[in-house]
Amino acid sequence: MTCVELQESLVEIENGSGLEQKQHLQTCSACSALLRELNLIVEAASELQACDEPSPRVWNSIEIALREEGIIRPQPTDRHSALPSFGTRWGLARWLVPAAAILLLAVGIYERKSSSNEQVTQEALVVSPAINAAGLNDEDLLQEVAANAPAMKDQYEVNLQRVNESIRDAQGAVDESPNDEDARRSLMDAYQQKSMLFEMAMSQQQ
Amino acid sequence: MSAAGLDDLTEPRQKPGTELSEAEAIERAKLGDTEAFQVLYDKHKRRVYSLCLRMTANVAEAEDLAQEAFLQLYRKIATFRGESAFSTWLHRLSVNVVLMHLRKKSLPVVSLEETTQGTEDDSPKKDFGADDVALAGSIDRLQLQRAVNDLPPGYRTIFVLHDVHGYEHNEIASIVGCSIGNSKSQLHKARMKLRDLLKMNRAEKAGKSRVG
Repeated sequence: MTCVELQESLVEIENGSGLEQKQHLQTCSACSALLRELNLIVEAASELQACDEPSPRVWNSIEIALREEGIIRPQPTDRHSALPSFGTRWGLARWLVPAAAILLLAVGIYERKSSSNEQVTQEALVVSPAINAAGLNDEDLLQEVAANAPAMKDQYEVNLQRVNESIRDAQGAVDESPNDEDARRSLMDAYQQKSMLFEMAMSQQQ
Repeated sequence: MSAAGLDDLTEPRQKPGTELSEAEAIERAKLGDTEAFQVLYDKHKRRVYSLCLRMTANVAEAEDLAQEAFLQLYRKIATFRGESAFSTWLHRLSVNVVLMHLRKKSLPVVSLEETTQGTEDDSPKKDFGADDVALAGSIDRLQLQRAVNDLPPGYRTIFVLHDVHGYEHNEIASIVGCSIGNSKSQLHKARMKLRDLLKMNRAEKAGKSRVG
């Protein structure tokens, strides 16, 4: 077997374990080095995908698109739901304010052409006072759910935790690269998700 | 965070230990069930995203392409009959999405048919170059990724599917639409090309360090 033949044979027997291949490799240092280097490449390749993970915005974008296309179908509402009317205790407006504040902030961040870290941070702080002014924040939401629909409380808690994590991650990306449109879009998506959470709670009483 | 769970707030929570199987998720996804879509996404997102990332070497593009692959999947899921494995179907779709994207970018996409013709550079060499810089020790991930980026898309696809993601040649043939023999040939050429690229990279660095 010549060196050219050895190389051609590696197409079928990649590891050089064929009888003729072995015989050639025992006497040819160049081909032995070639096989070693190819094995190094294969070994390194298998580790390339180890840490690949898409950001949360990918699923957020998918879900938004699926809803817009009507592929995700809304679950039937239970007319006889045991969930009480949140409006009777808090009033519709109390839920609308934080939802609207979150959306306004998200749109503002997205549409702003240029930004600085300081501006983004200051705008993010607007949300907290807005929510606090309405007397509603995450804790209020969970307490209300726990009081009126305890079976749902854990799910709301998990969803709030996830959406807040998404907001933190996206905020970090925007802080790092204020002019990154993808990062701003991710932050807007995350705030939209949180807004939807408040709206879900609001829609229970409809 | 997925808003998928928001719909579940109107229904009783699923009991622990009763997670959806893939088959159940597929059937429920056909009915528009949000949770089912997310189950399928969570199960396959890393592999799809990794494939897109290794093919494009761009995080934003990879995320957009992964998103597009899943959207196409969900739009067509009603037509999935189970003749092939769901993952094979999904990854075939993902490869097509990526290749379509690369063609639109007007990159010199070499079709799998074209690459089988080979070039002078691809032909087996009699002399491997005794003075070549050796690829000793381990290979840096970043260097390898850069070298993968420089591969023609046809080679890159096969290499990413086989050596990065571990697909067998018969699976690759099904995903990409080529023969098993073609897949093996492409893979070998891809590895040889990578070897050359990595050696060139090391030789350049060695030359720079001598000058510097």
